[in-house]
Amino acid sequence: MVAKPAAPAAPAAKTLACTSCGASLTVRAPGHTVSVACSACGAVLDAQDPDFTVIAKYEQKTKIKPDIPLGSRGKLRNEMYEVIGFLVRRIKVEGVYYSWREFLLFNPYLGMRWLTEYAGHWVFAKAVSGRPQKNPDTTVTYLGATFRHFQTAMAEVAYVLGEFPWRAKVGETAEVSDYVDPPRVLSSEKTAEETTWSIGDHIEGAYLWEAFNLKGEPPVARGVGIAQPSPYEPQARPMRRMFWGFLGAAVLIQVVFSILAQGKLVFEQTFAFDRTRANAAVVTEPFELGGRRSNVQIDIRTDLSNNWAYFNLALINEQTGRALNFGRNVEYYFGRDSDGSWSEGAKWDRVYLPSIESGRYYLLIEPETGAAQFTYAVEVRRDVTRSSYLWYVLGLLVIPMLIFWYRKRSFEYKRWAESDHPMWSVSDMASDDDDDD
Amino acid sequence: MMTKVYAVVGALVLSALGWAHFTGWAPTDVDEVKNVPKSIRDNPGSYRSAYGWARPYTGAK
Repeated sequence: MVAKPAAPAAPAAKTLACTSCGASLTVRAPGHTVSVACSACGAVLDAQDPDFTVIAKYEQKTKIKPDIPLGSRGKLRNEMYEVIGFLVRRIKVEGVYYSWREFLLFNPYLGMRWLTEYAGHWVFAKAVSGRPQKNPDTTVTYLGATFRHFQTAMAEVAYVLGEFPWRAKVGETAEVSDYVDPPRVLSSEKTAEETTWSIGDHIEGAYLWEAFNLKGEPPVARGVGIAQPSPYEPQARPMRRMFWGFLGAAVLIQVVFSILAQGKLVFEQTFAFDRTRANAAVVTEPFELGGRRSNVQIDIRTDLSNNWAYFNLALINEQTGRALNFGRNVEYYFGRDSDGSWSEGAKWDRVYLPSIESGRYYLLIEPETGAAQFTYAVEVRRDVTRSSYLWYVLGLLVIPMLIFWYRKRSFEYKRWAESDHPMWSVSDMASDDDDDD
Repeated sequence: MMTKVYAVVGALVLSALGWAHFTGWAPTDVDEVKNVPKSIRDNPGSYRSAYGWARPYTGAK
């Protein structure tokens, strides 16, 4: 059995007095820390200088209490970290400041990590090992994943507290760019000297509060976070698969019933209407509707020209005396005007009678018309497949997909609302105002 | 959640499609009248179906 090598001892924290105001300061990551910001006077001290000389001295007008106090220790994703630094950074867009908070975490064996918080949304980040590749479009590729450009802005440090591996001071600026591939975000910080990259992913505030054993509740999350995973994304593929599966099944059902349908012509006759006749109503010869309970298609074809006819019809079961009454209107007009020739209506009409049981039937037809004379043909078919049902089914299957798409898109719309690439609005969606100035 | 709802909706829609095809269901407005007199065949004009109310549009362009 091979003995495990002992882990190197963690560097001990170092306590010193602020050379500016005399307040007690703790350097929690000696050897890593380059500067320390005094929480009492705001002076930034050079942590690499044995005398801790003052690098920058200024009055921090308002004292900000970090949500996660410096010195807090917590186990994030099975690794212990201590909060050693706190920054407030801000960008100015169209005259409005948007600020976020950054917490520097330290683990003597793993190094530095960052927790950033904006509008109650948290990202846990670390420096990248390689160099992300910028693509000709605005995307960036890193470790095989493509990240979309979210925002580029000049960020300014507005508040500083604790220790940092660089000479952090209020007022220092860097061009920050964010690229997202939720739940991950890739960020670059460009200064005159260097460009550094970090990669982070979304982390829940409640998890952090539990990890650092903090009292109270994390800041309430507003809107959608830059790297917040979409609850709709994991469902998108199953939804699409189900849609195509259901549609395929619907087509199959349609085809099967089309093959099995009788579509049998059971009655056909042409009638002549003459206004001079005392009784225009006619009764057809009986015809047989066989097979199981199914529909009946009735077509009426006329030779109407610039006229109308209304048919009162009754399909009557000869044996039971049960009648199904219905009416159909046929009208056809045409002509020519200044716009050219026109026509409206049709010379024919079709109706489907639902669920007719088998038996012997006849039709009672009572036409009413504006014409003095016209002829009409009646055709009755038994058990006809209706292709229109497939369209109804398509509509019913598409509606939930549209709702899903709308909700999924609304989520992304809110995410991208504050980016350099806001999405076009489906409607004036009431997105939460995430202004934080 | 949405996938479960959609699975139920899809199953219902397909069932409805099969049922509509099998039974010949159609969204047609039909009035049912029982015990129509058998004398209609002798005097068709004596029975007036209930559809007289639906007067047609007769205004040509």
